[in-house]
Amino acid sequence: MRRILRWSLFAAFLVYLPFVLNSRMVFGYRVGNMALLNLGLAQVDLMLVSIIGAVSLNFLTGCAGLISVGHAAFFALGAMAAAAAGQQLGLPFVATLVAATLAGALAGVVAGLPSLRVRGLYFVLSTMALHFIVVFSFAEYQYAFHDVAGVTMGDATILGYELDSNVKWYFFLLPIVVLVCAMLQSVLRHREGRAMLAMRDHELAAASAGIDVRVLRLKVFAFSSAIASLAGALQAYYLTTVSAEIFTLDNAIHFVAMIIVGGMGSIMGGVAGAVVWLLLPSVLVGTVVEMKMLPGTLTQFLVSHQPQVVNLTFGVLVAVLLIRAPGGLAGLYDDLMRRRRV
Amino acid sequence: MLMQFAASGFLLGSVYGLIALGFAVIYKATRVFNFAQGMLMAVGAYLAVTGSVALHLPVLGTFAFVILSAAVLGALIQTVLIRPLAGRPLLPMVMITIALSIILRASIELIYGGGGRTLNLALPSGSVLIGPVRISAIHVTAAAVSWLCMGLFMAFFRFSKAGLLMRATADSHEAAVLSGVNANRINALAWALGTVLAAIGGLFLGQLQLASVELEAIGLLALPAVVIGGLQSIPGAIIGGLLVGLIEQLASGYISPKARDIFIYVPLLLILLVRPWGLLGERELGRV
Repeated sequence: MRRILRWSLFAAFLVYLPFVLNSRMVFGYRVGNMALLNLGLAQVDLMLVSIIGAVSLNFLTGCAGLISVGHAAFFALGAMAAAAAGQQLGLPFVATLVAATLAGALAGVVAGLPSLRVRGLYFVLSTMALHFIVVFSFAEYQYAFHDVAGVTMGDATILGYELDSNVKWYFFLLPIVVLVCAMLQSVLRHREGRAMLAMRDHELAAASAGIDVRVLRLKVFAFSSAIASLAGALQAYYLTTVSAEIFTLDNAIHFVAMIIVGGMGSIMGGVAGAVVWLLLPSVLVGTVVEMKMLPGTLTQFLVSHQPQVVNLTFGVLVAVLLIRAPGGLAGLYDDLMRRRRV
Repeated sequence: MLMQFAASGFLLGSVYGLIALGFAVIYKATRVFNFAQGMLMAVGAYLAVTGSVALHLPVLGTFAFVILSAAVLGALIQTVLIRPLAGRPLLPMVMITIALSIILRASIELIYGGGGRTLNLALPSGSVLIGPVRISAIHVTAAAVSWLCMGLFMAFFRFSKAGLLMRATADSHEAAVLSGVNANRINALAWALGTVLAAIGGLFLGQLQLASVELEAIGLLALPAVVIGGLQSIPGAIIGGLLVGLIEQLASGYISPKARDIFIYVPLLLILLVRPWGLLGERELGRV
């Protein structure tokens, strides 16, 4: 009963959140910027897209044990497929999303092929090679068929209803995020998911228990890439223009950092990591500036060097978590719960 | 044209070989696949900026300053970040070097500002014409110093006692520790050496181009270089570096500078699929 209450409160919060962030008011009362943690709805929307990316990577890396630094490549691929389907073939928005997902699944199988032959480090490198190859192809495709500055995506319209504001996007993205998380969670509970965990923990033992690890690896890869491509297509539509340059290796590495911060091998870990990674910067800077925690010159320095300070914080955060709390935030939370119960 | 590209490819490849060698030293000793090698190289370029511009050191003084600070930095990295993770799985090990690279980049940008800095060491300049090939003196100097460093390192690795201990530790960590080798100190030494090699490479690339964090992209080419050459092999790293330099110059000369990555990473993928242990490496056998 308490659980149902807690979940419905959480759901109510999620539904009410965009209106608060949009109007900067709670129940008709105007609230200060700091009470909203210096956050805007656009950030939350981008965060939702990143959550999709992070949970799909956590599914691949945390649950199946396949480390990939090629996740940005699948974002790029999704954007490319959406551009081709939407702008060149003129398909409607939802159809382009499906096309992007299918393209991602197909490319995932191809990208997973090296996993049949190489393990560990070599596999990481093959995903890195993949990243450069995909981004290069995207750039060539973009220069050949679209503008050098970037591909302009069409309007995102569902049955004549256009997603033209952050609030509408929020209510479009949120169900997708919930659906993706629920789907991955249920996969993890069923046969394939358990086989996957077994494969991660001990490949030979899993194989001797009758699991075809090669096919399983390709399946996992296809599944994860399909979701990442979907996220890439959504991101492209949300940003309205997309270009090959935004998909950097750093971009892919940030996804790995997200799942490390959040916690490897659990869906909630991916969500937590993406939330922290996308929202912490502005919360951090907002807090320091509004609370006047530091002397003026230092605050000024912080504001003018915001990206560097944020990156430094994240770098240190990742390093400290790796050394002190390998389970990430999800692991810390579990520890806390266990201690409370005891 | 071909000769020109081949010559400049060979000279640049020598510098890449140096960076790749630093990478291979760290990998061989500590089994850490160092994604921060590119950033360590950029650190070398900025250390040279500090030495020559801020401290007004002469050329040799700048070299000494870069080498000393890089050695300290490398040993520090091993002690603070790498040692606590000893024996952990692959992902934390890879990720800690990525975190290191993020930290280094942010620190560089905080200290020196975001833009690049020109590095004007009093190194030989001008160029000579040998037949149809124009070779600039700075490239020759960079290549010569790289080969000198590689030679020194090989001699150290082969003949000195510390080199012997490093080889022993790399060969079998447990056996070395049981024989009384202080593996931590050896690993710190390996990191110091690897960082120094990257920093020297960074100094030259900073002089050739611009001291900036964008040098990382070039330093990251050490990764495919090492894997193409063979992860376990020290000469393989050098050969891989040379190959990458040649491919880069030929691809950007004949096709376009953008084509560089594809001509390096596609062979990498092929090598991974066909011969994962690289051109010169030893095949690793999986045992149950």
